[in-house]
Amino acid sequence: MKRYVIDLDMSKCVSCGACTVACMDQNDFVVQDGRRPRRNIFDMEQLEDGKVCFHHLSLGCMHCTDAPCIVGCPSACLSKDPETGMTIYDTTNCIGCHSCAMACPYGVPAFGADGKMTKCDGCYLRIQHGMLPACVKACPFGALQLVDLDDPQQAIPAQHSLRQSSLELLKAQV
Amino acid sequence: MDAIDKLIKAKIPCPQTGIEIKHTVCAICSPSFNCGVNAYVKDGKMLKLEGMDEHPRNQGHLCTKGLAGREFAYREDRILTPLKRVGERGEGKFVPISWEEAYREIADRLGQIKEKDGADAVAFFGGYNKWYRPWLRRFAHSFGTMNYGTESSTCMTAGWMAWKTAVGQLARPDMEHCDLLLGWAFNPYYSGYLKAQSAEKCRKKGMKIIVVDPMITPTVEKMCDLHLRPYPGTDGALAMCMANILIQKGWIDKDYIDRYVHGFEAYAEYVKQFNESNIEQLTGVPYEQVMEACEMIHQSSSMAINENSAPIPHHKNGFQNYRAIMALSALTGNFDRQGGQLPSKHTFTHQIAGFSTLEDTFADGTEPKNTKPAVGSQKFPLWYHMEREMQVVDLARQILEEDPHPIKAIFAMGMNYRMLPDDNRLREALLKLDFFVDTDLFLTDTAKLADLVLPVCSSYERGELETYPGGYAWLTKPAIDRVGQSKSDAEILCDLAKVMKLGDEMLEAGYEENIRFILQDLDITMEQLKESDVPIHVPNARAIVPGEKLEQGLDTPTGKFELYSELIASHPEWGLDALPTYCEPLDEEDPTIYPYRLCSGGRLPNALHSRLHKVSWTRSLRPAPTADISVEDAAQLGLEKGDDMELYTPRGTICVKANPTHRVPKSVIYFYHGYSEADVNMLMSGTHVDPYSGFPAYNSTRCGMRKKV
Repeated sequence: MKRYVIDLDMSKCVSCGACTVACMDQNDFVVQDGRRPRRNIFDMEQLEDGKVCFHHLSLGCMHCTDAPCIVGCPSACLSKDPETGMTIYDTTNCIGCHSCAMACPYGVPAFGADGKMTKCDGCYLRIQHGMLPACVKACPFGALQLVDLDDPQQAIPAQHSLRQSSLELLKAQV
Repeated sequence: MDAIDKLIKAKIPCPQTGIEIKHTVCAICSPSFNCGVNAYVKDGKMLKLEGMDEHPRNQGHLCTKGLAGREFAYREDRILTPLKRVGERGEGKFVPISWEEAYREIADRLGQIKEKDGADAVAFFGGYNKWYRPWLRRFAHSFGTMNYGTESSTCMTAGWMAWKTAVGQLARPDMEHCDLLLGWAFNPYYSGYLKAQSAEKCRKKGMKIIVVDPMITPTVEKMCDLHLRPYPGTDGALAMCMANILIQKGWIDKDYIDRYVHGFEAYAEYVKQFNESNIEQLTGVPYEQVMEACEMIHQSSSMAINENSAPIPHHKNGFQNYRAIMALSALTGNFDRQGGQLPSKHTFTHQIAGFSTLEDTFADGTEPKNTKPAVGSQKFPLWYHMEREMQVVDLARQILEEDPHPIKAIFAMGMNYRMLPDDNRLREALLKLDFFVDTDLFLTDTAKLADLVLPVCSSYERGELETYPGGYAWLTKPAIDRVGQSKSDAEILCDLAKVMKLGDEMLEAGYEENIRFILQDLDITMEQLKESDVPIHVPNARAIVPGEKLEQGLDTPTGKFELYSELIASHPEWGLDALPTYCEPLDEEDPTIYPYRLCSGGRLPNALHSRLHKVSWTRSLRPAPTADISVEDAAQLGLEKGDDMELYTPRGTICVKANPTHRVPKSVIYFYHGYSEADVNMLMSGTHVDPYSGFPAYNSTRCGMRKKV
């Protein structure tokens, strides 16, 4: 099994939203439903030591290795795709309890009018068929990448990698 | 869900799902891009799209806007049939009619007006996109009038006019070979991702970038060695201060100037007035920074300058500012040199592809004689001298005042009246017309004012000729079924030419035959183009040889790069200056009442003009019409993020949301155009325009701002 994740090189992101729109197209997203998109962008600015700093983020499911959402779901809706390692789901039995959302450090699971969870499934079927996830394919600046955690060649430098520095960055916002 | 259902839901192209990938093109933004698209298609319907890997330009990529193409094409308000007005003008009440009825009515009404008031009582207007413009231009001429005009009355053309004035043709930066890019109004991350990709590559090879932009954009964050932040519209003063420093320091190419530049002495004398004593006060840029930029220019062995279609020209001094910026290329010996600015020729529908077509021969083949002056031609004589088409900035005035002659009807394709300043006046003028036809994909605010609305299709539903830099040509094919009874713009014009009996056999022959004519001098055939599913290389394409044009002599009266324009000097009746003189950009309103500088020229990554404001995917990235304002101004007015605020001028008030940001300098307001509910152009004066190009001063209007209570 591969251990794929979709990682962001924050030094390359400009919050243009190409990833978000590509994800909407891939997943037939209906804005009017009021559900949060599976991938979201953030264009942030803050004063750090009296200097203005800008940060750009594209955030979807991090496809954690030990995904707390999988453990947190009482209906066993979430699982790891054996081929890609992406965190996938089947919400036939979803009871809308939001346990997954509470377990997720990134607040990724989203809920619509039907009460059932949706989230990024890493476009695992596209990957299985030799294609990139829609957001990775769309990113014009190579900021989003499909990374195999077991392949050291593919790593994004730690200081740029959202996967590696996300919690510090997100904590700074709270 | 079984395995097949999962594959269908994931839109996997394979025999089991029946989903095929078809090549087509995105025409949402400028034809200088026209990125290749892979459409995922089943049963004639697009299920998804992405960038086309096999395309020589975009190589699998697309931008935020292009990625919303499926929702754009299938918007719920696509017009499905020709529509005829039944309510009052502007009420927006229509009934469906057949194409035959629509064509008949257009032929009858335009024919009657031509008979009674002459062909010049009809104006032909082309909006966005630009792919059908040669057909509309020819159609207007065959009808018998020079009253053909387009959205390019406010976009791109002024920059090209500045180049034609200086060197007799267009030019483009040779970024690939330069070691310094003077990135004047350079933010390709939002406006042209391919340019951003190229710049990133050049950066890796050592290219330095000076960004000149009032705003701190992602380009400033990611790839900028020096950032100059002039107030909008003060670019000319800044460029001339740079020229002055370069001349005073001797950091110019004297041999080059002696051989190839005309008007140097006069220019050197003129620019002396932009110096250490006043430049910060005029532009907001400290003299030390201007000096630093000049040092970088001096240290570079080649400098290319970013060309741009809107940010520089959209001021009342925009044309002259553009000339002043490009003068730096001449002074430093970078024009027609590798890594500098290379003279270029237009190929086809606003694309520079490295080969020539007979587009102009086709478009101008039926130019009428002895017509009345075209709209705007007397007010903007330099414009008309160079473009030989309407300057539509003067259209509303002429309709309302009937001076110098009345306009009774408009045949428009994709018109957006909100694109012009003081646009309520144009709305009033359109309502005054005897007959108004508009074509569009959607029932827009402008289409609602028409008597007849014709449905056109998107680029995914039609076939068209594309050309691309690098010497490529591509005849696209329809990738999906047409929505409703829509037709392509060119098809409508060719059909109408028959019904109206214009006597133009070439138009009657149709788009494909016309393309055959336009390409006839090239060593490619229509058959080759038809057979290919991807852009093919045109054997006649030729890379520019730097220096060749300078040696041949430029297409100017002196054969040189004219800092002092002999063309303008030879027409004293125009009342224009032969040197790129500078004037203050702002309008005459009282600065104590209107203390801010309103700039509507910034770009959003998820919007272009008004085209994507009603596409929910892109709109969701910035749902409310929102102004970016400085944190200083926000603090002073007690405005916080998301607050309702008002922007006002003597012409009216609009209500928008506030977004205080460190990106924007104090006293400048960035608000974005094309929102029906917050129409920024309504605030602008229709007479605060550039006398050289006619371009409106979208980017520098005095404005008031207050918190909404």
